[in-house]
Amino acid sequence: MFSHIFITRLKCLLRDRQLVFWTLLFPILLGVFFNMAFSNLNKEETFQAFPIAVVQSDAYQKDTAFRTVLESVSKGSGRIFDLTVAENRQAADKLLAENKIKGYITVGDEIGMTVKNSGLYENILKAFLDSYRHTASSVSTIIKTDPAAVGRGLLNDLGAQKDFTREVPISSAKPDNILNYFYALLAMTCMYGGFWGLKEITDIQANLSPRAARVNVAPVHKLKAFLSGFCAALLIQSAEILVLLAFLMFGLHIDFGTKTVYVVLTALAGGLAGLSLGAFISALIRGGEGIKVAVLLAVSMTGSFLSGMMYGDIKYIIQQHVPILSYLNPVNLLTDAFYSLYYYDTFGRYALNMGLLGVSTFIFCAGTYFIIRRQKYASL
Amino acid sequence: MVIKVNNLVKRYGDLVALDHLSFEVGEGEVFGLLGPNGSGKTTAINCILSLLKYDKGEIEIFGKPMSPTAYDIKREIGIIMQNVAVFEELTVYENINYFCGLYISDKAERKRLVEEAIDFVGLNDFRKFYPKKLSGGLLRRLNIACGVAHKPKLIILDEPTVAVDPQSRNKILEGIEQLNRQGATIVYTSHYMEEVEQICSRIVILDKGKVIASGTKEELKSMISLGEKITAELFSLPAEKLAMLRKMPGVASAEYSDRLLVVKSEKGKNNLESVLNFLHSENIRYGRIYSELPTLNDVFLEITGKQLRD
Amino acid sequence: MPVFKLCMKIIRKHLPSMMIYVVIFLGIAILITTASTRSSSAGEFTQTKTNIAFFSGENTPLVQGLKKELSKTCNFVELPDETEKLQDALFFRSVSYIIRIPKGFTESFLNGGSATIGKTIVPDSVSARYTDLAVSQYLNIARLYVKNLNGISQEKLVNDVENDFSTDTPVELQASAQTASQNDFAVYYFNYLAYTLSAVLILGIAAIMLVFNNLDLKRRNYCSPLSAGSMNVQFILANFVFAMACWIIMVGACFVLNPDALSRPNTLWMVLNSLVLTLCLSGMSYLIGSLMKSRNAISAVCNVVTLGPCFISGVFVPQEFLNGTVLKIASFTPTYWYVKANNQIADLTSFSYGVLSPTLFCMMVELGFAAAFLAIALAVGKNRKRES
Repeated sequence: MFSHIFITRLKCLLRDRQLVFWTLLFPILLGVFFNMAFSNLNKEETFQAFPIAVVQSDAYQKDTAFRTVLESVSKGSGRIFDLTVAENRQAADKLLAENKIKGYITVGDEIGMTVKNSGLYENILKAFLDSYRHTASSVSTIIKTDPAAVGRGLLNDLGAQKDFTREVPISSAKPDNILNYFYALLAMTCMYGGFWGLKEITDIQANLSPRAARVNVAPVHKLKAFLSGFCAALLIQSAEILVLLAFLMFGLHIDFGTKTVYVVLTALAGGLAGLSLGAFISALIRGGEGIKVAVLLAVSMTGSFLSGMMYGDIKYIIQQHVPILSYLNPVNLLTDAFYSLYYYDTFGRYALNMGLLGVSTFIFCAGTYFIIRRQKYASL
Repeated sequence: MVIKVNNLVKRYGDLVALDHLSFEVGEGEVFGLLGPNGSGKTTAINCILSLLKYDKGEIEIFGKPMSPTAYDIKREIGIIMQNVAVFEELTVYENINYFCGLYISDKAERKRLVEEAIDFVGLNDFRKFYPKKLSGGLLRRLNIACGVAHKPKLIILDEPTVAVDPQSRNKILEGIEQLNRQGATIVYTSHYMEEVEQICSRIVILDKGKVIASGTKEELKSMISLGEKITAELFSLPAEKLAMLRKMPGVASAEYSDRLLVVKSEKGKNNLESVLNFLHSENIRYGRIYSELPTLNDVFLEITGKQLRD
Repeated sequence: MPVFKLCMKIIRKHLPSMMIYVVIFLGIAILITTASTRSSSAGEFTQTKTNIAFFSGENTPLVQGLKKELSKTCNFVELPDETEKLQDALFFRSVSYIIRIPKGFTESFLNGGSATIGKTIVPDSVSARYTDLAVSQYLNIARLYVKNLNGISQEKLVNDVENDFSTDTPVELQASAQTASQNDFAVYYFNYLAYTLSAVLILGIAAIMLVFNNLDLKRRNYCSPLSAGSMNVQFILANFVFAMACWIIMVGACFVLNPDALSRPNTLWMVLNSLVLTLCLSGMSYLIGSLMKSRNAISAVCNVVTLGPCFISGVFVPQEFLNGTVLKIASFTPTYWYVKANNQIADLTSFSYGVLSPTLFCMMVELGFAAAFLAIALAVGKNRKRES
């Protein structure tokens, strides 16, 4: 009996092309779009030597100290600037207007700069010029206080910049915030599996469809029939989640960290959570299929939004200001579980997420059970 | 007794859908449950099937109390719902096979039964079709095949012919009679009195959740005070002749209007001959003349004062 | 005008699903407006500040001095000193730099020792580099004093360094930059408009088409005494009125939210550009409507066709952040040309033909897409008619 219902349900679910689209194809497409749109965002954040110009003038030629420093930071692999020398101010203006340089330096009585925007790169240019200015000021202060300092090698010290910092990595993984979009996408897909659960309930509750009434009058235990169908849905859901996960990992090269086994288990647990959420919503909410679908969509889309699928920072903002919400949102629990696996070296937060996810799955399942356990209906 | 319903009460809030309903269905009967829309036919069926909770009463099937877990009873029941209850995602064959599989585990046996059911409803050319591609009549036939493939001893049909073309309807009715000949007890609900008259051996008429009459169709018709109804087209009929007609023995009433004379007979009386003789002797010329026996509609009309089909 | 009226009724029936897009759009637009009014210091060079977390095991004058100087380039974010909290903050860029000064650092520093400051950063990031510069600058100058003025007191050292840091490089802002930043809101608004407009237009127009492509209904319409021409005119008129209504509402909302925008020619050019896009998207919706057979299929296609181009054409992520291949693919969608035109318009300070010509070219491409969509739709329609 189990295999008879199981196989038939498999056919029923797989032939629902619309559901297959929303639960598998749509997430894959979104993944591709994300990947195309975000592939450069990390590069954008990465520091690269940027183009600037210096306006040619007598003062610039005479100021060898400045010229040497400027040239030294525009050379080699660790350089800050790609330096061009502009013939005159007009030429530099033109370069700036055409976005060929971020800004240009003018050397006159004072060293100044001209830029178009107030971005980070423009500020780095300013920080560099400021540092030259500050150093010059400190040298004159020192000489004023103790002219003998020059003889003791003050100018040599100027050239020997020392790095007083040492990098202390906080995690073995890179803090790549783009990843969160893909984790949230995977979590959303798990919740979309709820559509399968929704369909299973519609086809087993006699007050929801005549098909189900027919199954109810057959000599089959209702919960057994439901469980067979639910297993079919779970198989499809798990297969889809794994396909998506494989696509993200190997097709789009999304980094899920090193704990691959846990990632797979988490994804499967997420699939079960989504499935039971859909079943629960379908059993709980009275009204037509349209309303059930709308509620499931609203829950999963709001959940995904709050987990940072549309705007990454939201997840952090919620976590900072309304932490309770991030623990109640199953999409966030899953997203955060993937994030913890990738980013943390400890398992504490992961365990917390999975525990809460387990609790909510249990609530969904138990709720569904108590609603569909009833075999007679008040009205059909 | 195959079905025994005793004092069944079902309320929807303030609305009493079934009001102390009692009836019995004997083995081998084609039992008709007749009543206008909303009279409680489907509610009664759903209660019998243990799909609906009811407030009071007992239901026994095959002599045992019916419950949602009475699987040995359920195994012998075939149900054809009012709404087509099939899976859009499964083909004709797969649908019948699925529902049959809920009753019959043995695969070889099932295959044979499914083939028989497909033959029975004449869907052989459509076995690979999806329900969406079937016309209304064919869909109804599929609906029936899904209910009877497992050869149940009791078949319940809830308005199986609603919105079906006459050709398919006849096919369905013939099929029901055939199933009955093969030994199945049939419970048939409808608001089409012609169908019920045609196939049912015993009939219960429902109105507002109550049994208002029951018996064979002859018994039912004999319950009412009227007999034969004679209608004649006359060019003219003087008032005194009409009065003479009314006074004839066995005539319950006679009316003339719009050039139509309607003579209703008393119960058990046949007046066609005497009316013809009267017209001849009075030299009244007539066009068409015909006589009808009372229908179940007349029965319903007389008992409730309203038409079966409103 | 029975056909026209029917179309309007169909639209009204589908209004709720369209309203979702509009409401979300307006919500985001309002968010952007409130956010952008806060930082309205256009016309002046502003010191960009990065967010950092600062932990210190000691509170010496040197550390205080460093912190004071850093406050010119950094915002200090208060964070609990817990690994996971710090990790979260770094991952989500709540801070881009965590400084940790060990106990005894000052003493070692003053004595020429080798103690270092711990830093945790987003590797290779621009903002980390920026903060690095500031930290290194302060400490290197301080070291200069320590090395060259023997026995300098810590207080004097901090004082002198502060003095050195008190002057700034003068910065000039190029003239054109001012309008560019003024147009920030409009660019955001009009770029994002592409997403909402396409979703709403596809949903609306395809819904009308779906009803009229129903074969039985088509036959019934043909049998009516209305001429096919009049019917088509009403039908096209209804679609046109719908598209224009959408456009007017969306563009109107822009001026309600940001009335100053009305006075800038840049915005008016963007309005024109959005009108061109509306025409183009109407054509696309018409094509989709004539290809689709069910409402479910429409919502699937609608999602893919609106989200896809918006992601790759620079609606959600600005074009300058997209890589070259993606942009090449995107150039096969009208959305790309629309966004490109908007970005160009935002940078304009004069409006001569010569300056505008690349923008006009983009608009022509959009119109080309519109023509192509219509041509395909008509060809499809003709084929359909022959088949049935």
